[in-house]
Amino acid sequence: MNDREGAGGFRDGFVQTLPLWTGVAPFGAAYALAARAAGLDAAETAGMSLLVYAGSAQFAAAALFAGGAGPLAILLTTFIVNARHILMSASLAPPLRRYSPLLRAGAAFVVVDESYAMSVRRVLAGSGPAYLVGSGVSLYVAWLSGTTAGIAVALGVAGLGPIGLDLVFPLSFFVLLIPYLNAPPALIAAVVAGGLGLGGRLLLPGPWYLLLAAIGGMLAGDAAASRGLVPRKRDAATE
Amino acid sequence: MTPAGGHWPIIAGMAAITYALRAVPMIAPWGRIDARIEQRLRYLPPALFAALIVPSLLAPAGTLQGGVRLWAGFFGMAVGWRTRSIPVTILAGLGTFALLRWLGA
Repeated sequence: MNDREGAGGFRDGFVQTLPLWTGVAPFGAAYALAARAAGLDAAETAGMSLLVYAGSAQFAAAALFAGGAGPLAILLTTFIVNARHILMSASLAPPLRRYSPLLRAGAAFVVVDESYAMSVRRVLAGSGPAYLVGSGVSLYVAWLSGTTAGIAVALGVAGLGPIGLDLVFPLSFFVLLIPYLNAPPALIAAVVAGGLGLGGRLLLPGPWYLLLAAIGGMLAGDAAASRGLVPRKRDAATE
Repeated sequence: MTPAGGHWPIIAGMAAITYALRAVPMIAPWGRIDARIEQRLRYLPPALFAALIVPSLLAPAGTLQGGVRLWAGFFGMAVGWRTRSIPVTILAGLGTFALLRWLGA
């Protein structure tokens, strides 16, 4: 591992993250299709990717917009979906303390799942924020490129009406869910949340079923782990 | 569907919340987050994804709904299980939906 600082480290992070573009850019395009189908205009769809830069949260917001949810439900969902970023930033923070607050404030904007995964070993080894920022900027460019492509496609098919586009949500989240399913507590969390989500959707007014199901499933998974259903250290969800 | 004043206020709020979650631990002087909270949050992603998937597949409008849409969804998920690819899974699901509709189902 070549732990360069400064411009060299930024360049390493940017280039070594390029393979991840194949996953991030299509996801950005899928988000844009979903957002356009939910009634956001082209500028709003692009603006959300530019300002928020959080794939799952943007997808969830598009689904909630499509369902007619209010601002509070969407903001609360954003908080819940992105709460994990607190943990990621907290784990990166100690070795970055010696850098300027301005630099750290900038680096924080590009802390996403993929840039965290690419850079955490280097950052914790003391090589500074350059690689993290290079990787995060690389993914940001991919996310914006994908969003732009999705907007272009959506403009071309506007007016086609119901072509099953809302299936994009459950299908995408299913692929994101798969890696968790081989850890028993995470599987229990998913099953409980799915049951609560369906029951809540059928029986409760409004979009609150989502928060109820997510928190209920999370606590069920944690309770299962606490009862020793699986050794915590070997849990795939802790990776 | 579209609120008065557009979606911009909500988008700005989402941006502020998301940035705060990323920046506060990075620029704040305090140390680690409570271990108990950290432990619970580990099960948030699978719970949240399932909470999004099941109702939107089985009850998209608030009542149970079967038919072409559901079969296309199941087929797409089977393809997703095999390929682990979001774009391929979306293509399989939407393609099946279009094909079944075209066949008159």
